[in-house]
Amino acid sequence: MSTLSIDISCQFGGFLFSLKQDLKLKGITGIYGHSGSGKSTLLRIIAGLNNQATGTINFNDTVLLDTGLQDKKSLPDTNLNSKSKRGTQTFIQPQARNFSLVFQDNRLFPHLNVKENLVFAAKRCAHSKLKISEILKLTELELLAESSVTTLSGGEQQRVALARAILTEPKLLLLDEPLSALDQNSKNVLLKMLINIQKKLDLPMFYVSHSLDELQQIADNILVLSKGEVVDYGDIHQIIHKLNYADTDSDSNQLIMHQQTSLALPLKVNNNQPEENHGLNTLLLNDLQEIHFPAHLIKERSANKQFITTNALNEPVKLRFFILASDISLCLETTNNSSIVNHLHGVISKIDCSDNNVLITIDCAGQRFFANISSYSLDKLSLKVDQAIYMQFKASAVRTFIN
Amino acid sequence: MPTNPDLLALLTTMKMAGLTTLILLLIGTPLAWYLAKMENRFKVVIEAIVALPLVLPPTVLGFYLLLAFSPQSLPGQLWQQTTGQQLAFSFSAIVIGSVLYSLPFVVQPLQKAFEQLGDSLLEAGAVLGAGPIDRFFNIVLPLTKASFITAASLGFAHTVGEFGVVLMIGGNIPGETRVLSIALFDHVEAFNYAKAHLLAGSLLVGSMILLALIYLINFKPLRAVKS
Repeated sequence: MSTLSIDISCQFGGFLFSLKQDLKLKGITGIYGHSGSGKSTLLRIIAGLNNQATGTINFNDTVLLDTGLQDKKSLPDTNLNSKSKRGTQTFIQPQARNFSLVFQDNRLFPHLNVKENLVFAAKRCAHSKLKISEILKLTELELLAESSVTTLSGGEQQRVALARAILTEPKLLLLDEPLSALDQNSKNVLLKMLINIQKKLDLPMFYVSHSLDELQQIADNILVLSKGEVVDYGDIHQIIHKLNYADTDSDSNQLIMHQQTSLALPLKVNNNQPEENHGLNTLLLNDLQEIHFPAHLIKERSANKQFITTNALNEPVKLRFFILASDISLCLETTNNSSIVNHLHGVISKIDCSDNNVLITIDCAGQRFFANISSYSLDKLSLKVDQAIYMQFKASAVRTFIN
Repeated sequence: MPTNPDLLALLTTMKMAGLTTLILLLIGTPLAWYLAKMENRFKVVIEAIVALPLVLPPTVLGFYLLLAFSPQSLPGQLWQQTTGQQLAFSFSAIVIGSVLYSLPFVVQPLQKAFEQLGDSLLEAGAVLGAGPIDRFFNIVLPLTKASFITAASLGFAHTVGEFGVVLMIGGNIPGETRVLSIALFDHVEAFNYAKAHLLAGSLLVGSMILLALIYLINFKPLRAVKS
């Protein structure tokens, strides 16, 4: 597996951007932070569009950036060393890095039509394994190939930008908040397309966003930045669960996100006839327990044959979803006389109280769930760590950002 | 060579203006690019120097150029040593004078166009694998085509209409430095109003046609975008 090793610092805004991290180039890596955290700057530095950064960036064994020793104070013999180091300075120009970047604003060439924009990229690609017609199909642009790019809608323009970036056959595709200017419907279309393309072409992506909801849907790993520093890096679900405890953002003092359980679970049956089950479909949590959810969450995806059919490796199809902690209620014993369809059995592993809001972490067959209850209920049920408990939530509490 | 002195003057004028425009595009484009991307305070100094011919009386520029071109001064001497010919009162002198005098008419529209274009599409080109020269010819040039046409025609037209500088450093040598505007002046001085009318009228009509052509060329892509 390829790795991008970054060890850089860069003056940025009012603070020093300083980052040392090895990033795995596998699947989609989310880069998360609020505005001004330096996430877009990081992407520009990786792409080679920012030449202010000092330090090193290595892509496997290829040196992309090496400005020599960063900290002059640490040098015992400044003059000699800085001179000899100057000879080893490396800055690979963006056009030679073969990392493509999809910008927030599409940046299509207005003097070229859709197809000509794609040809521009394909012509400058050394390998040309991908066919333009193939990519037009993947991005659903076949009918717009001859259109002027200025007449397209925002979502269509961003799809052209994505297609154009893919056609350079990059080793790494960088995406800088590609959805931020789009409406919800266009966001859905593009997100599904990205997941689909990532799987089909096995193209590693870095996806910058300030929306955890978006990242929850597509990222495999996530890098969390704050004020130009790495806060955390790891599996998306685990990081989201960690962020449940850091309930307020230290910078803006706002809730980062709603406390939630983030999951990706396999479908029990790949059926496309959810009507038989009263509009519900089923996910497998483990051998014994199941989660029921509204079938329309996957119905649309199977309808345009994107989500279900693209799984080339014959892995079980997984649904990524989240359950808000406020949607889960706790019960000491199970009840079958309820309209609530999901009842899971678990053990309390942590109780976190802040003010009158209590966050309970429940371990359920190796999977953690998070539930919000009031301190009144905590007292009433006299809940303790290691206590067995039943969780209840409606089928409609299973949510996805894409719908 | 035409025997008619006015046709000869027309030929000299076209040669001078054509060559001047070509040189101006070659040196004006990188200069305009440099100014558009420049960020430090020397930018205003260079901008002021480029804009100087707009406000300076042409005779002032001509006077200093005449001094510089004379065999007694260093530039004139260097020219004479390398080419074996005197610089002052030669065709080369009026071309150099015209280049300096028409510089702002080429540099300013180009600089404005480059500034308006910005960096965003160039960055997009770079991440798609296009190097600097590739980016210039395939992104910058097609998108600023209209400004190049404007710059070239303004430079050409302004050079055709030049009088003071040419008179100071070129004199009035037929086939060498005698251009239309000077020929016209000669006719008026000799009270030959019929010939003066012919020259003035054709310059007027010629300039009108040239400008109309520029606007026509610039108008076309706009109409295409609308439809």
